[in-house]
Order: sequence, then structure tokens, then C-alpha cells
Amino acid sequence: MPTRLSDRVGVATAYAAGGVLIIAVTVIMSWLVWQGIGTISWDFLTTGPAPGSLEQGVAGGILPALVGTLIVIIFGMLVAIPLGLGVAIFLTEYRQPSWLAKGTDTAIDLIFGVPSVVFALFGLAIFSQGWLAWLSNPVGDAGMATAQSFFCASLMMALIGLPPVVRSSQAAIIGVPNQQREASYALGKGRLTTIRRIVVPGARPGIATGIVLGIGRIAGDTAIVWILLGGAVLQSPPDGWYLPWNLVDFLRSEGSTLTTYIYFSSPAGEGNSPGPAYGAAFVLMVVILFVNIALIRLSRRKIGKR
Amino acid sequence: MEPMDTPSNDPTDERAARQEWRHAHDRTSDLQAAGNPTDPTMVPPVATADAEPAGTQAAPPAASTATPAAAQPTERIAKSMTEHPAHVPNPSDLVLAIRGLRVAFSGNEILHGVDIDAPRGAVVALVGPSGCGKTTLLRSINRLTELAPTASINGEIQLDGQNVYDRGTDLNLLRRRIGMVFQQPNPFPMTIFDNVAFAMREQAKTRPSRSSLMPAVQDVLQRAGLWDEVKDNLDRNALSLSGGQQQRLCIARTLAANPEVILMDEPCSALDPRSTARIEELIIQLAGSLTVVIVTHNLAQAKRIGDYAAYLLNGDVIEQGLARKVFEDPDQQSTRDFVSGMFG
Repeated sequence: MPTRLSDRVGVATAYAAGGVLIIAVTVIMSWLVWQGIGTISWDFLTTGPAPGSLEQGVAGGILPALVGTLIVIIFGMLVAIPLGLGVAIFLTEYRQPSWLAKGTDTAIDLIFGVPSVVFALFGLAIFSQGWLAWLSNPVGDAGMATAQSFFCASLMMALIGLPPVVRSSQAAIIGVPNQQREASYALGKGRLTTIRRIVVPGARPGIATGIVLGIGRIAGDTAIVWILLGGAVLQSPPDGWYLPWNLVDFLRSEGSTLTTYIYFSSPAGEGNSPGPAYGAAFVLMVVILFVNIALIRLSRRKIGKR
Repeated sequence: MEPMDTPSNDPTDERAARQEWRHAHDRTSDLQAAGNPTDPTMVPPVATADAEPAGTQAAPPAASTATPAAAQPTERIAKSMTEHPAHVPNPSDLVLAIRGLRVAFSGNEILHGVDIDAPRGAVVALVGPSGCGKTTLLRSINRLTELAPTASINGEIQLDGQNVYDRGTDLNLLRRRIGMVFQQPNPFPMTIFDNVAFAMREQAKTRPSRSSLMPAVQDVLQRAGLWDEVKDNLDRNALSLSGGQQQRLCIARTLAANPEVILMDEPCSALDPRSTARIEELIIQLAGSLTVVIVTHNLAQAKRIGDYAAYLLNGDVIEQGLARKVFEDPDQQSTRDFVSGMFG
């Protein structure tokens, strides 16, 4: 125990800060579990919402919303991961020309800081152009598009998933010791081979953290879903949507995610059925937790046998 | 500066001891060679202590054996040929010739026109106080210096008569021909096998299989004196090895690229005395089949392993030549002060 008063105060503050955080998280989590777990059933997870019954608090299931969340995560990250990793490598290993590097840096900060609803609005303007109707569906003969589909939403989701991937990967790449790069160069390996075989593998845990944060941002976003995916909470997906040859049609259709489902069925939304809202929130939490643990585990792969 | 390990100033004692050590190594490699006729650890036979009684001057080797393309040795080296002992590699056959090398970082000149000769198959020790430019010199040879964007490099470094700074130089090929071992052991965070195979795996469409790489991996691990310790654990993380083993792994990894020259930047400074001794043994074994240019802070080490030595001070070569000459009977007062431990 430190003897000086100022030290003691400092230590006490640090303990208190940690304690408050743990208490807050515990309260929120247990509240969610307590409220939500009763709603969870096989039916809840595997059926769609029952239109008309939502008002009475018997909401049916969350399958479309759960699938919707997974789809925007997968397709959003499918764009965000390679792009983000590329940007991170450019910003750390190349940084030439420097005006481009500085511009990219600012752009990433901007994307990180601007609320997603702004991008969603912009997306609406772009994706409603007639020549982009293949991403959603045409509106009559007006030469416009609905701009509401999994494609449109995922593309914007990629944008908000990008900054954490870039920043986290960047930090991890900088953290790869220069000695290792030099050792690789000294063995006659070029820059690209060194990046591919030494730098990126060495930065894997940090890259995984970035991906996890990106997934968290996408899974938690509501504005883009409302504007670019449609508020189709009560709408069940078309029959046979899960069949591979229906995939493109399905991705061009409107849908919902867990976040919009939660909003819709919460007392604040039209559905006004708190039970399913808590249930969906619980499921969302479990999904994110599971993805986090899986990714972090994968990235910390052990080298060789014991 | 650590004290020299030989309190005796009698040059004959030390030379005899040094040759005895070499002799012992020759016998070891002879034994190995007897068991395995194609054993790559076998070094070319050198004169033994018996063959060359201490104090006897060996006949100077013929200067005409020099590669025609190679640069002429510097004056001092040429002079030292008259007292050139037979077991030391021929000073007129230069694998590396550094001429007028100037290196500056952001306009601050670190090397002011350095000339160094590295005879083929020799161990060349670069000594000098901290900040004298030894490491910069070493890193300029395999062109690592230019990784720093502020570096400007002038002068010539000839590898077999070809300037490595020529426009058309294939940088990756150059760095395979001139390997490097760093101050801190820096194995990659991979398995032992993958570390060694790193230089062998090319960017070819098909990656060579593990079994096809195995003989070569075993060969270089044997040459680096690590095989017996790791042969059952090739799939273990290289970072689980001890510091000395890691450094020998780094040497093996470098040998895998089949270099003609190995640059060593204080390779033992992070190691304990026992590991240091093993690395020194290894360097002596490797010399002959390839050339070693070693920067060392440890004068005793430079004396133990160096065939030739160059003393640098503030970016200039003060003295170079046969290691014995530089360390025991230097021409310059500055060298004399340094090797006698007065500063550094």
C-alpha cells in the first residue's frame, strides 16, 4: 500500500473506476439475461415474427432479424476486412506519397467520427439511382431504385466497419518489431513477401481485435438498417430464401436486423412487446460475445507443437 | 570495455593457442567427415600448429591468384602479405572490397570514405568504440542502410568485383549472397523448421513440400551446430529456444540462403559466455567455406576469431590488416590505445 496520501487517492480512484465499470456491466447483463432468457425458445429462434399478433405481445420469432444481422455482418466485413487491411498496410509499410497517406488518415478519422445515419442518408441518394437498381429493386418505370436491400445496407455497413479494422491493424503492424522485417529483407525477401509472411501474421491478434470491433459496430447499427434495409420487421423472408440460387434475389430484398427488431418491439416502438425485445437483445449479446471469443481464439493460434 | 582475456602479452603464446584451437576444430570436422564423407561441416584443411612453428614466417602467397575482376587490395593489406601466415586466407583474393564508402543520415556523415578488404574465406573483425560507424558499415554491405529514407550512400562496395550499388543489382539476390546475423537473436515467431525453410521457400506457384526441404534444413542446422538439440522438436516455436540457440538458429536461417558472405553485427553481445563460445566456434568452422565480416565490441573475441581486423574511429578506418598485427603490433598510436583498453 502506498504511503503518500496522493498515491492512496490515486489507487483508490483507479479501484473505484474499475469497480463502477464492473458493476454497470454486471447490472446491464443480468437485467438482459433475467428479462430475456424467459422469451428464448426454439420457436423464438426459428420462426418469423407473426404479423398482427405483435401488438398483443405475442410476437412470434426473430429468425429473419437474426439472419439479417448475420448477413450484414458477413457481407459488410467481406468488404471491410480486405479494404481495411490494405489501407492499414499502406499507412504503415508504404506511406508514399505522403499526401495520400495524410488524406487517408483524415478520411478514416472522419468515417470513424461521423454518425452512421449521415452515411445512410448519402447511401439512399446514391443507391436510389436507376443504374444501381441491380443492388435493390427498381421503382416502377421512374428510373429509380428502392435503395433498400441487404446489398445497399451491407455496403454502407462496410464503411462503418472499416475504421476499427484500419486503426487496430495499423497499431498491430507498427508493433511488429522492425528486427523481423530486417531479418526477412536480409534473407533476400522483397517487401511484399515480408508483409505477407512476416508482418501480417505477426499483427494477427491486433487485426482480429479490429475485426471484432468492426463487427460490433455493424451489429449495433440501427440507422443504416432503417434507411437502407427498410423497416420490414414484420415481413417474413420469401419462401426458400436460404437456397443458394435464391441468394442474389434475397440480398436484393428488404429485411431487418436484431437492432431494428429490438427497437420495433420495445415499448418505444410500434410493437410494444418488451419480452421479445429483451429476448432479441439477449441473443444479439450472445452472438457478439461468441464471435469475439471465436475470433480472438483463432488469432492467438499457437505456433507449433508444445 | 571489458578486459582482455589474455593477461600475457607474449604474442607467441597466443598465436600458438589460437592455432591449437583451430587444430582441434579441424580434428572435429575430420571425425565428422570420417562418419559422413559428404558432411558439409568439413572445412578446408588448414595448417596446424605443428606444421607452422610459432615465429616462423610462412611464404607469401602468390598475388597472381587474385580474381582478375576483383579490386586490388589496399596498400596496408598488401604490405601485410609479407608476413602472411599460411593458415590465414589469401589477402589478394578479395570477396568484398569497400572503396571510399561515405554514408550520411540527414546530412550527418557517419562514414567518411572507408576502404575495407575482406579476403575470401576469412573472418574479418571490425572493431572500434561505440558510434564509430561499424554497424552502419556492415549494414551498407547488404544494403540495409538504405531502408532508412534519410540515408545517403556514396562509394563502392564490390562483391566479386561487382559494385553492389550498381543500378541493375538484384537486391534480393544480393541479400541472399550476403547474409546477415543481427545483434539480438531475431528468429521469426514460427516453428524452428519454418524459420530455417524461410529463405528456401520461393514465391513459386507450388510451395516445396516439407519432406523435400527436410534434407537441406537438416544440413544447415548441422552446419550451425544446432541439429542435435532440435532434431526432435522441429515443430516447436523458435521463440521457446534459449538465446544462444536462437542465435544459432538465425545463423542456420542465414546459411539456408547459401550466402558467400555472412555479416554479423555483434552476434554474441546478448549471450552468456558459454553460448558466446559456441558461436565463436561456429564462426571459425564456417570461415573458409564462406567469408564472415563481424562487428564486435569485444576485443578478446576479435582476437580469438579474427583473421583480419579493421579498427574504425569516428567514421574512418584507422588501421586494418592481419588481426595479429592490428592487435599486437599496431602502427597507429590510436589503435595501440584502443587495443590496450585505454578507451572504447
